[in-house]
Amino acid sequence: MDEKTISALREIYGERLKTSLEDRICYSYDATGKEFLPDAVAYPLNAEEVRRTVFLANERRFPVVPRGAGSGFSGGSLPVRGGVVLSTERMDRILSIDTENLVAVVEPGVVTETLKEEVKKKGLYYPPDPASLKFCTIGGNLAECAGGMCAVKYGVTRDYVLGLEAVLGTGELVRTGVSTVKGVVGYDLTRMLVGSEGTLGIITKATLRLIPLPESAATLLAFFPTNEKGAKAVAGIVEERITPCAMELMDRTAVDCVRQVADLSLPDETGCALLIEVDGQEASVARDADRVEGACRRFGALEVRRAADASGRDKLWALRRSISPAIRKVNPVKINEDIVVPRSRLAEMFAFLSGLAERKNLKIVNFGHAGDGNIHVNVMISGKDEDERRRAEEAVEEVFRKTVELGGTISGEHGIGIAKAPYMEMEVGPLGVSVMKRLKSCFDPNGILNPGKIFLEEAAVRR
Amino acid sequence: MKDDELRALTGACAKCGTCRTVCTLYPERKAEISVARGKIALIDAALEGRDGNLDAVQEALADCLLCGRCERACPNQVLVEEILMKGRADVARKIGIPAWKQVLFGKVMPSPRGREAARAAASAAQKLFAKKIPTGSGLHYRFPEAFGLAGRTVPKLPARGFIESLKPGEAAAGDVILFVGCVFDHVFPRVGRASYESMKASGKPIAVFRDAACCGLPAMVSGDRESSLRCAEENVRRLRAAEAEKIVFPCGSCLLMFKRNLFSLVPEKHPLREDAVWVSNRCEDYATFILESGVVSRLPDPPEGEKVGEIGYHDPCHLSGTLGKGAEAREVLEGAVGSGFAEMKGADLCCGYGGTFNVRDYDTSARIGENKVSLAAGGGTRVISTACSGCILQLRDMAARTDPSLEIVHIAELVAGALSRR
Repeated sequence: MDEKTISALREIYGERLKTSLEDRICYSYDATGKEFLPDAVAYPLNAEEVRRTVFLANERRFPVVPRGAGSGFSGGSLPVRGGVVLSTERMDRILSIDTENLVAVVEPGVVTETLKEEVKKKGLYYPPDPASLKFCTIGGNLAECAGGMCAVKYGVTRDYVLGLEAVLGTGELVRTGVSTVKGVVGYDLTRMLVGSEGTLGIITKATLRLIPLPESAATLLAFFPTNEKGAKAVAGIVEERITPCAMELMDRTAVDCVRQVADLSLPDETGCALLIEVDGQEASVARDADRVEGACRRFGALEVRRAADASGRDKLWALRRSISPAIRKVNPVKINEDIVVPRSRLAEMFAFLSGLAERKNLKIVNFGHAGDGNIHVNVMISGKDEDERRRAEEAVEEVFRKTVELGGTISGEHGIGIAKAPYMEMEVGPLGVSVMKRLKSCFDPNGILNPGKIFLEEAAVRR
Repeated sequence: MKDDELRALTGACAKCGTCRTVCTLYPERKAEISVARGKIALIDAALEGRDGNLDAVQEALADCLLCGRCERACPNQVLVEEILMKGRADVARKIGIPAWKQVLFGKVMPSPRGREAARAAASAAQKLFAKKIPTGSGLHYRFPEAFGLAGRTVPKLPARGFIESLKPGEAAAGDVILFVGCVFDHVFPRVGRASYESMKASGKPIAVFRDAACCGLPAMVSGDRESSLRCAEENVRRLRAAEAEKIVFPCGSCLLMFKRNLFSLVPEKHPLREDAVWVSNRCEDYATFILESGVVSRLPDPPEGEKVGEIGYHDPCHLSGTLGKGAEAREVLEGAVGSGFAEMKGADLCCGYGGTFNVRDYDTSARIGENKVSLAAGGGTRVISTACSGCILQLRDMAARTDPSLEIVHIAELVAGALSRR
């Protein structure tokens, strides 16, 4: 980036433009562990500054990469081609919470948990709950279409967006969608932008849908001797016509991990743990919990624990929460995939994964949102052994092939970014990719926004 | 310190971003360079030789309160404090430590005489240049803006320190050693005295550690490991030779040094390691001693209906957080003031002092501190008690800035007060 460009940017941002190596290093990474140094970092405060930046970028041809909290797992916020990182963390106001129309209007830098807490104070609920909700931002959630545990009942970020304000790749400020529940005027540009990973537009404001806060919840933790029995119980619960708000499955590899770090007094023969949460009105919660418990026992649960009060529920969740820290004890480097298969194929997928780990001599830890078929496949490697890394990459490709074969999708909630770009065509086919590229050129003809993402021939290689 | 050691520590960071949720400084800065993840990336870059400007790196590493929240929240148990202190030392070795810090940490702090002389000089300077102001916690001086002290208030320094005030032969021998700490000896001798008097109520002979060097924490956080090690060596040798049963600390930060940071200075196979472990195992906080030695059970019943719910407890980050000693202090308080104690609003928020941080960025330190004090006062707290010298210095200054009628005390003062009712 030349001096002239920097000084033009400084005219927009003043002190809020950072160009020192130290500041740039701090915006070179995300949770993928990869690093790409930007040429500059700016902290916009409003849509006008973003608009001027993208306009300038078209004039002087430099990449603009929007960034929320940098907590993504697919590299969406990495400046793989340099350019300027627009960190939205200072655009963090909740502009309104409308209790009559059940709508919130927020800036992109609002932390997801902050929004959830603020609407909760008014008896309302913003359901999306990605695991990083304490620090990830709404802007990032929208750009990646974040999911979470409650997706099985409540859906994902996409299901709670009514309208957006965004700066397109041309520097034009567009308003999409509505602030009402219904709206079918023309193409659904809102949904185009959600999950577009910052490649079509930079979201500067979002109108979000809220729902009433469920009045109570109950949590159950069931232990099964095998993955197969656990996976069958998942299907059994669904067949009971109950929709839990969370159904988290940990397979034997994950159970063995947590057994090592914490004394959770699991039954000795535990080969699979299933955590189920039901919510709603108090009477229905109790009834649903009974039926869930019955289903677990029918499918061979060794033990079922249950809690309806906050502290008891918290204790049951401890097992699930201890997985992420525990798996790093297996090996330091985590290759984290988030495939989804139809619920009815879960048992098959788990069997495939355990065979794969054996065949490739790898440590693979699986857990995830079994209620919606979303499994986090974590290939844990030392990071020092080249052969191990090669085997891991082969394994990941096999996992994706199997996923597509079972009628699933290769990314449920992390996005493509750079991490999954090589595999996208496997799922959507050449025509699918081609249509997406044509759309991209409509929104961003000069390829200014977040270049190097999603599409393979532009994808950056690991540094 | 070898680069490999540091690299092994930083390698545990998965760059997930959890540290952003708990960082005391992040809401002030709203920039990644202020959180642990960013600082660890900078250290990694420096280790790889990608350090553009070491002064800027040092500046970034210094911009931290070392409150330890990120470390406790970290899902990967990254040792952030250790990494930052080692990082600061590494950079300091390359760019040097400022001359005034070299004299302070290397000459003044390790020596009891040196510190006495320094207090006398500071006391004189205070009378000459600063303006007297009365507050709920006693007389303070407010320095004029021109001094680079930006209008801050500091307590009136006493003519004599606590240890100096002991009679010859008083508190000279005993199974329990009281490690007063520089601030409670020289700046708030009242706290040193209250700790001593209340500990005596245990019935055990108490020896005040007269030849103490500074605990070494200020030097360590400034990246001056050499001076810090000198303090540690002096202290460990003398405390080992004293053969005490227990060593009690009224200051949480001094205790942190002996319970944890000591082992970074004296790693395994260090000739002093065995003695350091011996000493460290006998160190404990003031509240734990008061509880376990039965002083609390011997206190007279607190007066009913006095200051109900007006006395709060501020959790010092190192003591309540890192060392997990928050419950003990509260139990002592309940014994000493009964219904006077109530959980304070924002009790576990960092006071914003951060030792050297308060010197390098007083404005930010004061914003964090004022917020803390205002929150507490808004919740009805009139007396903030705590158990750390840094927190007391900061909270008194913040009270003077926001609500001078607020009282800031050490829990030992409340225990001593309760005893005096006997």
